[in-house]
Amino acid sequence: MQTSTGTLSKRRRIFWLVPLIALALPLLTNPYTQFIANAMLIYTLVTLGFSVVIGNLGQLAFANTAFFGIGAYASAIASTNLGLPWLATVPLAGLAGAFGGFLASAAALRGIRLYYLAIVTMAFGELMRWFYTHTGVLTGGTDGLPVSRERDFGLALTSDTVQFYVFLIITCLLVAGTVNLLRSRIGRAIIAVRENEIATASLGIPTSQIIVTAFMWSGFIVGIAGAMFALHTGRVFPESFGLTQLIVNFAMVLVGGLGSVAGAVLGAVALTALPEYVRAFPGMEEIFFGVIVMVVLLVMPKGLASLLARVSPIFQQRYHRD
Amino acid sequence: MFLQLTLSGVSQGAIYALIALSLTVVYRSTTIVSFGHGDFVMAGAFLTYVLVVAIGIAFLPASLIAIVAMFLLGVAFSRGLIGPIRGGPHVGLALMSISFGFTLRGIARTVWGREVLPMPRVFDIDPIFIGSVVITGDALFIISIVAVLLVVFFTVLHFTDIGKMVQAVYQSERGARLIGIDVERFHNFSWGLGAALGAVAGVLIAPISLLHPDLGASFLIKGFAAMTLGGFGSLAGAVLGGLLLGVAEQYSGAYIDTTLIDITAYLLIIAVLLIRPRGLFGRKVVVKV
Amino acid sequence: MTSLLKVEGLSVHFSGLKALDDVSFELEAGQVRAVIGPNGAGKTTLFNAISGYARPTAGSVLLEDTEIVHCSPHLIAEKGLRRTFQNGGLFAALTVLENVMTGLHTQTPGTFFDVLLGRRKAVEAEIEIREKARDLLKLMSMDHMADTPAGDLSGGQQRIVEIVRTVASEPPVLLLDEPAVGLSPVARQQMMEIIKRLSGEKGVGILLIEHAVELVMAAADRILVMAAGARISEGTPEEIRSDKAVLEAYLGHA
Repeated sequence: MQTSTGTLSKRRRIFWLVPLIALALPLLTNPYTQFIANAMLIYTLVTLGFSVVIGNLGQLAFANTAFFGIGAYASAIASTNLGLPWLATVPLAGLAGAFGGFLASAAALRGIRLYYLAIVTMAFGELMRWFYTHTGVLTGGTDGLPVSRERDFGLALTSDTVQFYVFLIITCLLVAGTVNLLRSRIGRAIIAVRENEIATASLGIPTSQIIVTAFMWSGFIVGIAGAMFALHTGRVFPESFGLTQLIVNFAMVLVGGLGSVAGAVLGAVALTALPEYVRAFPGMEEIFFGVIVMVVLLVMPKGLASLLARVSPIFQQRYHRD
Repeated sequence: MFLQLTLSGVSQGAIYALIALSLTVVYRSTTIVSFGHGDFVMAGAFLTYVLVVAIGIAFLPASLIAIVAMFLLGVAFSRGLIGPIRGGPHVGLALMSISFGFTLRGIARTVWGREVLPMPRVFDIDPIFIGSVVITGDALFIISIVAVLLVVFFTVLHFTDIGKMVQAVYQSERGARLIGIDVERFHNFSWGLGAALGAVAGVLIAPISLLHPDLGASFLIKGFAAMTLGGFGSLAGAVLGGLLLGVAEQYSGAYIDTTLIDITAYLLIIAVLLIRPRGLFGRKVVVKV
Repeated sequence: MTSLLKVEGLSVHFSGLKALDDVSFELEAGQVRAVIGPNGAGKTTLFNAISGYARPTAGSVLLEDTEIVHCSPHLIAEKGLRRTFQNGGLFAALTVLENVMTGLHTQTPGTFFDVLLGRRKAVEAEIEIREKARDLLKLMSMDHMADTPAGDLSGGQQRIVEIVRTVASEPPVLLLDEPAVGLSPVARQQMMEIIKRLSGEKGVGILLIEHAVELVMAAADRILVMAAGARISEGTPEEIRSDKAVLEAYLGHA
C-alpha cells in the first residue's frame, strides 16, 4: 500500500467536511439534541486529551478527570470570583489543565510508571475532588460554583445554539492542533517513547521533554473541555469529576481506539449519544459503560478506528505492539 | 486518648490490611493490579447483606456463602475476561478490572437503588474497659478475625507446597511452567483468592458501616495506599501498611483536622511514591533499561 | 591528528563489582575498532558508559575534545555519538520510514508552536526529512519497505533499518552492539559491507561489539580485547590472532 504524502494530505482535507456538516446541525435539532450535541464536542476534547497520554505516549495515567475538573473549576472561579466573561476564562482553564498535566508528568519522570503511575494519578484526581469539596470559599464546596453566561463579548452564550458554534470552533482548532502535533516529529517522538524510551534517547531526542509536552498538551485541551463543561452545565460540582467520569472517559477512548484522533471523535460522539437512554434507571449507566469496555477489550481491542483503517489508510493508528 | 485512637486505628487498619493483602495476592501471582478490587469488597458486603436481610440466613453461614461466591466470581473473571487479553498492553488489563468492578457496582445499584442501608447488628459483644480505653465488640471481632486469617495465610505461604508454588511463579513464570506448574490455573486461583479475601473485608465492614454501591472506591484507594506504603508486592508490607494507614488516619483526624481522614490515604500515596517509591519493604522500583 | 573519541581510564564499579575497570583507547575518523571478549567481559557496559546509559565511577570520554562523561544519553547523541542496541531498538509500531525520520529528529527545525500551528517552516521541514529518510532507505535498498510497520520486518531487515536510523543524522562516531547477531550468512556479508562503506566513504569512526570472528577480522582496523571488565590486549587483527593472552582469556573461559 504505497501512498505518497501528497495524496494523503489532499485526502485529509475531507476531514473538514465533518465540521462543515456540523455547522448545519442546529437547524435540524430540538433543544434536547442540541444540548447533547454540545456535550459531544466537550467529550471529543476530553477523549482526545486522554488518548494522547494513554494511547500515543502509552502512560497509564488516570489524571484525565483531574485535568477536566481543574479546567472546569478554573473557569468557574475566574467567572465567579474575578468576574471574567466566559470566553476569557477559556485560556486560563487550558493553562490550569496544562499545569495539572505538568504535575502528572513530574510523577512519570520520577520513574513512577505503569500501575504506580495509575495509582498516584488516581490519588491526584481524588485529592482535587476533596479540595473542591472542602475549600468552600473558593469553590463553593458541595453546593457547586456557577459560571456566568451573561457576561460575554456580544455573544448570546445563554443559547445552546450559540454555545454549539463557539464549542465547534474551539474543538476544531484544538483537534487540528493535535493532528499537527501528532503528525510531526513531536508526535513520532511521543510514540517512540512509548515503544522504547531508551532507544529514543539514543537518537538525541530529549525524552523527558517529550513526556512533559504530551502530558501538558493533554492537560491543556482537557482543561479547555472543562471550561466548556462549566458553561454547558452552568454550575460545577465536585461529583462530576470522580471515578465515574474516569470510566466514561476510558470507555470513549477505548471504543474509539487508543491513539487515534478519528477514534477519539467517534468514541466521544457514540458514547455521549447512547447513554441518555439508559440514564433513567439507577445503575444502568454503570453496567452499560462497564460492559462496553469489557466487550471492546475482548472483541475489538483497537476500537472503531480499526474499522475505519480498513476503509482508508488515513485512519491508520499506531497501536502498542509489545 | 492516644491509646484509644491507636486502637480504633488498628481496628480500621486491619480491614485496610486485608484489602491490601488481597490486592497483593493478585499482584504477586499475576503481576496485574486489580483496579476493580474495591467492588469485590463491596460485592462481598452486599451479598452478605442480601443473604442475611432478604433471605434470612444467619450471619455466619451467609458470610461463608458470600466469600465462596466471590472466590468463584474471581476465578470466572480471571478465566473469562483476563485470560484472553493476558499478553496485551497494561492499559487493557487495568481497564478490564476497572470496568468489571464498575459493572458490579452498577448491578448493586440496580438492585439497591439510591438508598443507604444499615445492616442489622450481628454480634452484641459488650465493650471491654481497660483503664480509660474502651475496646468495642466490633473492634475486637475485626481484629481477631483478621489476626487469625493472617496467621493461617502466612503459615500456608511459608510451610506448604502452595507457598513454594507462589514463590516459583513470582520469581519466573517461564521457570514455573518448565517445572510443570499450571500457571493459568494458578492465576485463576489467585484471582479467586484475592476476590475472596476482599470479600472477607466486605463481610467485616458490613455490620459496622452503612452500605452503598460506591463504598468500594474509597476502600480501593486505601488498599493502594497500604500497599504503596508497605512496598508493592510485599505481603507483610501490605499488612503493616494497612495498620499504619489506619492509625495515621485516626491521628491526623484527631490532632490536625477531621476532614483530613478522607485524604490521608491519597497524601500517603503521593508522598511515598515521590519520596521512597519502594515503600517500607518493597523491591526497588526499576524502570527497565 | 586528534582522535574523534578518546576514552581514558573508564571504570564502572558497583558494590565491589568491577563491571568495567580502567579501560582506555582512541578512535579515529574512518576507523573501525572492534571490541571482543567472552560473555561478561564488560563490552556492553563499556558501550553504556560511553553513551551515557551507565554512570562511570572514574575516567573520561572525550568526543572531539569535549568531555561527555556525565552527559545524559540524549545529549551525547545530539553531540554526535550514536549507538545501536543488542536486542534491537526499532519502534515496532512506527513504519520503517518513520523510524528513520526519528533519527533525524534533532535536525528538524521548527519549535513546538511552529508545529502546533502548522506553520510553513514546520511543514516544509517535515517534507524535507521525509524525502531524506526515503533517500537513505534507497541507499540500503530498503525503500520498498518504507511504509511497512517496523515490527513486521525480519530480524536482518530490522538490524539494517536500525543502522540507517542511527546514521541518518551523520554522526561522526557510531557504536554498534552486535549488529550481525542472528543474521543469515548473506545478511551478515551485507552488514559487513555497510560497516565498511560507512567508515570508508563517510569517514565514520565505528566501535563494534561482535562475536562473529570472521566479521571482526575482515572489518576491523584495530581490535580491543576485554575480559572481566578490563582490557587485556589491543592491536591489529593479525596481532590479536597471535596473542597468547587472548587465547588464554577465551580458552580459559570456554
